[in-house]
Amino acid sequence: MVERWVTITNRLGLHARAAALLVRTASAYQSALRLEREDRTASADAKSILSVLMLSAARGTKLLATAEGADEAEAMAALCGLFASGFGEKES
Amino acid sequence: MSRRRNTQSREERWRGRAVSEGVVVGRVLRVFSGARQVYRATLDEADIERETRRFRAAIRLARRQLLAVKARAEKKLGAEHAYIFDAHLLMLEDRKLLGDVETFIREERCNAEWAVKVAADRLLAVYEEIKDDYLRERGSDIEDVTQRILVALGGGRPHLRQLTEDAVIVAEDLLPSAVAELDIEHARAIATDAGGWTSHTAIIARGLGIPAVVGLRDLHRRARTGDRIVVDAQQGVVILHPSQATVEQYKSITSSEAVTAPFPVGQGVRVGPARTLDGKEITLRANVELPAEYEDVRRFGAHGIGLYRSEFLLSHRGAMPSEEEQLKAYEEVAELAGEDGANIRLFDLGGEKFGAATGDGERNPALGLRAIRFSLRQEDVLRTQARAILRAAARGRLDIVLPMISDLTDVRRARRIINEERARLEQEGKTVGPVGIGAMIEVPSAVMSADKVAREVDFFSLGTNDLVQYLLAVDRANEEVADWFRSLHPAVLQSIERTLDAARKAFIPAVVCGEMAGTPAYAVILVGLGATQLSMAAASIPRVRRVVEGIKFADAQQIARECLECEAADDVEEMVRVRFAELWPHLFPPKSLPAPRVGE
Repeated sequence: MVERWVTITNRLGLHARAAALLVRTASAYQSALRLEREDRTASADAKSILSVLMLSAARGTKLLATAEGADEAEAMAALCGLFASGFGEKES
Repeated sequence: MSRRRNTQSREERWRGRAVSEGVVVGRVLRVFSGARQVYRATLDEADIERETRRFRAAIRLARRQLLAVKARAEKKLGAEHAYIFDAHLLMLEDRKLLGDVETFIREERCNAEWAVKVAADRLLAVYEEIKDDYLRERGSDIEDVTQRILVALGGGRPHLRQLTEDAVIVAEDLLPSAVAELDIEHARAIATDAGGWTSHTAIIARGLGIPAVVGLRDLHRRARTGDRIVVDAQQGVVILHPSQATVEQYKSITSSEAVTAPFPVGQGVRVGPARTLDGKEITLRANVELPAEYEDVRRFGAHGIGLYRSEFLLSHRGAMPSEEEQLKAYEEVAELAGEDGANIRLFDLGGEKFGAATGDGERNPALGLRAIRFSLRQEDVLRTQARAILRAAARGRLDIVLPMISDLTDVRRARRIINEERARLEQEGKTVGPVGIGAMIEVPSAVMSADKVAREVDFFSLGTNDLVQYLLAVDRANEEVADWFRSLHPAVLQSIERTLDAARKAFIPAVVCGEMAGTPAYAVILVGLGATQLSMAAASIPRVRRVVEGIKFADAQQIARECLECEAADDVEEMVRVRFAELWPHLFPPKSLPAPRVGE
C-alpha cells in the first residue's frame, strides 16, 4: 500500500468536472484507491463520482490518498499528477 | 379529467410574459421535468435474478441515450457545457449507486424502480447536508440521472424527440438537458409555467426565433399533449382549446407577414444598413450567445455582432474557461463577424455563477458584486479574459464592452488592466490586435453622467433590459412585478435619448442592444430617439428591417418627441397604439402593438 498527502489547488475544488476527471483516471487502474479528508469527516472511493463529490473538498482541503494493488505506484503517480496540475484549470 | 376530454373543451386563456415574438397556432407537446411516481412491488425469490438483469439492461440503455444527448449538447451548446453529461455518465456507472440498488433488490426483494428511488433518496439526503452550495446543487444531477434510469426501466425511449410539425412545447420549465434531448429546432413555440425574461427558455426561444410565453403558472398541469393551443407572444397570451373563431382570427394574423414567425428566409438575404423612406441609415447587428446562433448571423444579414454575451462560455456553475479556451471562442466570433466586427461584453454575472469560490449568497445579487465589479475584484478573471480578446483581435475586429458601469472609475481601472495585459502580451511576443473599449450604459448613474463617460470610452452600448430594471426598480425575473416592467416608461425613453445624445456630442457610436431593439414597434421609437445602430437576436433582423424601411425617419422622430412628453407609461403606449395605427397600419397590425392594460 502507498500513501500520499495531496492538496486541492484549483479554484472550485473537487466540483463535477474535476471529480469526473479524477474518477476516469482512477478507474483506469486495478488498484483500490481511496481519499480521506484530513479532518477524517469523510472518505471516498476514488472510482465513484458520487462518493468523491461527497468529500465536498474545496480549495485548500488536504486529502490522504491511498492506493493498494498490483499497479499502486503508477495509480498513485497519476492521481498526484492530477492534483498537482490543479486538474488543468490553474490559470483562472 | 376524463370528462373534460370527452366534451367540447372550453377555451381557456392564460396571461404570461412574452419573451420573444410571433404568434403560432399548434398542438401541445407536454414535456415533463418533474419526478415520476414510483411504486413498490414485492418479487418472488425466483424473479430477483431477472430483476437485476432488467436493471443492468436499463443502465446500458440509459448510457447509450446519455452518450447521444452529450453529442447533441456538444453540437448545440458547445463542449464547455457538455461536460455535465460526462459527470452524469459517471454517475450512471457509479459503483456505489449500482451496488446499492442491486443489494436493495436482493435484500428487500423489490422491483428495480423502487430500489433506484430508495438508493437515490438516500444519496440525496446526504447531499442536502453538504454545506457547500455548489456541491449541494449536484443533488439535481443525481435526480436527473435517477429519472433517466426510471425512464429506461419503463421500456424507455425518452418521451420527447421527434416533434410533429405543429408542436408547441409546454413545460413547467425547460431544463438544459431537456433542451439538448429535444428536437428543439423543430418546435414552433414554447410555453412554460416558470421563467422570466432572462430564463433559459427565453434565451433559447429568441435564439431560435420562435414565439415563447413564460410565467403561465399552471398551464402545464391543465394542458394535454395533442390539445390545440395558441401562443401569442405579441400580447403574452396563451389560449388552450381555442374556439374556431379564435383560431380563424389568429390564422388571419399569422398569415400577415409582420408577425409571422419564424420569418421566411429566402435566397436573397438583404445585407447592409436599413434605410428609412427619407434616407436615414440604421445599422442592424446581432446579439449572440449560443454557438447555435452563429449561423443566423449570416443567414439574416446582420452587420456584425453588436453584443456577444461571453458569460455563456462559463458552464453552469462550472469552472472558468482558460485563456486558450476563450481565445478559441473569440477567434471564432472574430472570424464570423469579419470586417463588421463584434463587441465582446466581459462576463456579465455575479459571484453565484462561480460556485464555491465566492458564493456567499448575496441578498440582492442584481445590486451586488457582479459584472465589471466582479471582474475588478477577481482581477485574474479580467486579465485572462482581456488577454484572450486582445489575442483574438489579431484575427478580426473585436471591441470590449464593460458591463454595469456605474462610475468612470470602473472604466479607468478596467482600461488600465487591459493595457497592462496588452503590454505583457507584446513582451511575450504574442500577436495582438487593436481593441476599442466601450461602456454598457444600463445603470441610472451612468445615464446621468453619460456625457462624462462618453469622453473616456470608444463607444456606448445601451442595454435596455437592465436599464429598465434598474431605472424602474423592477426585478425582471419576478413575475409578481412584471406589470411594472415598462419598456416605454417616459423615464426610460428620456434616459435612452440622453445617452444617445451624449454619444453623438462626443462623436462616439452607440449601439442599442436590449430586447427593445429587436421588437419592431419599439425599434421605431428607438430610431426616433436617435439610435442609428440596433442589435438584436439575428432572427429578428428581417422584421425590424422591414419596418425601418417602411417608415420615414421624420415621422419616427415626431412620435418619439410626443412620447417623451407623455406623463406615464400607459400614455406612451396609448400614443404608440394610436399613432402607429394611423401612420403605418400596413406595418403594424393591432396585435403587434403594446396591448391596452384596461380590463385585465
